Amino acid sequence: MAGIEISALTKEFPGGVQALNGLDLSIADGEFFALLGPSGCGKTTLLRTIAGLETPTSGSVRIGDRDVTRLPPGARNVAMVFQDYALFPHMTIEDNIAYPLKIRRQARETRLKHAHDVGSQLGLDGLMRRRPAELSGGQQQRVALARAVACHPSAFLFDEPLSNLDARLRLEARTFLKRLQRQLGVTTVFVTHDQAEALALADRIAVMEAGRIRQIGTPREVFGRPANTFVAGFIGSTPMNLLPGVVRDGAVLVAAQQLSVLDVPDGEVVVGVRPEYVAVTENGPLAGAVATVENLGTSSLVTVDVDGLSIGAVVPEDREVEPGTRVALNPTRVLVYRDGELVS
Amino acid sequence: MMLVVKRILTYVVMGVGTAFFALPVLWLLSAPLDDTPTYAVRPPRTFSLDNFASIMDNRYAVASLVNSTILSLGTMVLVVSAAALAAYALSRARVPGRDALIYLLLLLSSVVTGTAAMVPIFLLIFQLGLIDSHFGVILVLTGGLLPAAIFLLKDFIDTIPPSFEESARVFGASPLQILRQIVVPVARPGLATIAVWTVVQVWGSFLTPFILLRDPDKQPAAVLVRTFYTEGGSPNLGLIAAFSLLYSIPVVLMYLLAWSRYGFRFHGGIKT
Ligand SMILES: Nc1ncnc2c1ncn2[C@@H]1O[C@H](COP(=O)(O)OP(=O)(O)OP(=O)(O)O)[C@@H](O)[C@H]1O
Ligand SMILES: [Mg+2]
Repeated sequence: MAGIEISALTKEFPGGVQALNGLDLSIADGEFFALLGPSGCGKTTLLRTIAGLETPTSGSVRIGDRDVTRLPPGARNVAMVFQDYALFPHMTIEDNIAYPLKIRRQARETRLKHAHDVGSQLGLDGLMRRRPAELSGGQQQRVALARAVACHPSAFLFDEPLSNLDARLRLEARTFLKRLQRQLGVTTVFVTHDQAEALALADRIAVMEAGRIRQIGTPREVFGRPANTFVAGFIGSTPMNLLPGVVRDGAVLVAAQQLSVLDVPDGEVVVGVRPEYVAVTENGPLAGAVATVENLGTSSLVTVDVDGLSIGAVVPEDREVEPGTRVALNPTRVLVYRDGELVS
Repeated sequence: MMLVVKRILTYVVMGVGTAFFALPVLWLLSAPLDDTPTYAVRPPRTFSLDNFASIMDNRYAVASLVNSTILSLGTMVLVVSAAALAAYALSRARVPGRDALIYLLLLLSSVVTGTAAMVPIFLLIFQLGLIDSHFGVILVLTGGLLPAAIFLLKDFIDTIPPSFEESARVFGASPLQILRQIVVPVARPGLATIAVWTVVQVWGSFLTPFILLRDPDKQPAAVLVRTFYTEGGSPNLGLIAAFSLLYSIPVVLMYLLAWSRYGFRFHGGIKT
């Protein structure tokens, strides 16, 4: 088991695409670490560079106390689960799981026994003689995990392993994955573009944009105090309200109404507030008419027009309002961004 | 009413079409067993196996089937192994102008085994001292079939996701292990198709072996059939029919075998 240290990592593809841009990252031993970001931001490239499937243009990768930058993938002792699982279609499940051990020249009996042990740990009993095409998506995903577990790596690298599953199965697999990682305590890097998945699973999250890391933190930090407007807009199942505002004598004003008093210099700012933290009340600083109501199950997202600004607020299910009603809004936990960066 | 007429017409057309293609096959099945075969399709007048016996008497007939087998299998081994390596490389490596290269080869291949190239090829093989050798014929046929084989196989290998190989690489497999344990088994239906296709092509090829093999002891079946005449100078129908039946059996068997095992369906990656 080992931590992963990445320093000044740059990857430029032929043709000039800068997929990674001077990236520094330090992942602790045993940590469940999520790489989160929009499509094309370089998550897969970073993961493949850690695995050794891509050679970096510059920078270094350390796993444990070894510099592995120039080592071939097979010498790094990591296991990777691909988005399509990459199960070998011509082998049975037991042979698939035992394949890493075959490469290590273990005897057939030893490795099959080990494969069956790991398989039953992951609930694959009774499927071991089948071929991958005869399994459901969720079962295939567990086989891919089992194959990774069977080779006792010092780190797991997962590239969107849940994205091929339907919504319900994804939730189950998520819980399963988290428990497995806790049990094994193996350092895990997990790529996803689903922010809810990252928040639910990870000990820490790195949010990436265009080959750079925009914020690293625990799910609580990244959700509660996004370091910049990019992260603020990306994290959260209902998008954060990012409203134009000004600060005058420490008072934060939106639509000429004072929301709070903060210790920040005067000037134009962007005020961020999550819909979950906007209360719909009888008297609050902002007033307007309800434009739309979207049902979210146990709550509803209410969009209110305030002086030409659309502000979202989440209300619990017994406090619903009709479109057209005039309401007042009371935002709490107000964040202030200047030039895209969090100032308070 | 219109519908009934339409349907009757459809069946008539289909029946005539089927009969047209079935007649030669029926002749091939009945004529060898007939004592005095003619060009007519009819059940054997007097049933006999004499025609097969006379094949056994012909000192070249059985040998020619062996020659056909040698040429087919030799070419098949060369074509399949060379095409597999070339197609794999072309599918996975970034070669500039790759598609143009393949199309150019494909175009040239029809020239190589075509009639126009026979004189230069004869001279080439003559100077190499390979006239009257099976190896010379195998080389020429391989050259002619390779481009199409590479083209078909590359299309097939393109459908195998690279993540199979990458996954094996991360587990520490060497390039040779990846080729043997992953790529070849996954590509097996494609390789089998190419193998059967090659054998069928060579089995039926006439011009190249006809020109390059002068010694009747070395000629394959497709070339030898032309010598089956009676003393009177007319085609020896009994012999030709019986020999043709023997000659077509291996090809039919190969098709059935490949079809039952692979069904000629190309399937590469996981279910989508
Ligand atoms: N082999 C390659 N050659 C050239 N450019 C590439 C290659 N692979 C990736 N890229 C480019 O590098 C950038 C990062 O790609 P990457 O696959 O890492 O994105 P990603 O964050 O994994 O996106 P997604 O969420 O869609 O999987 C993209 O702009 C992509 O077009
Ligand atoms: Mg990706």
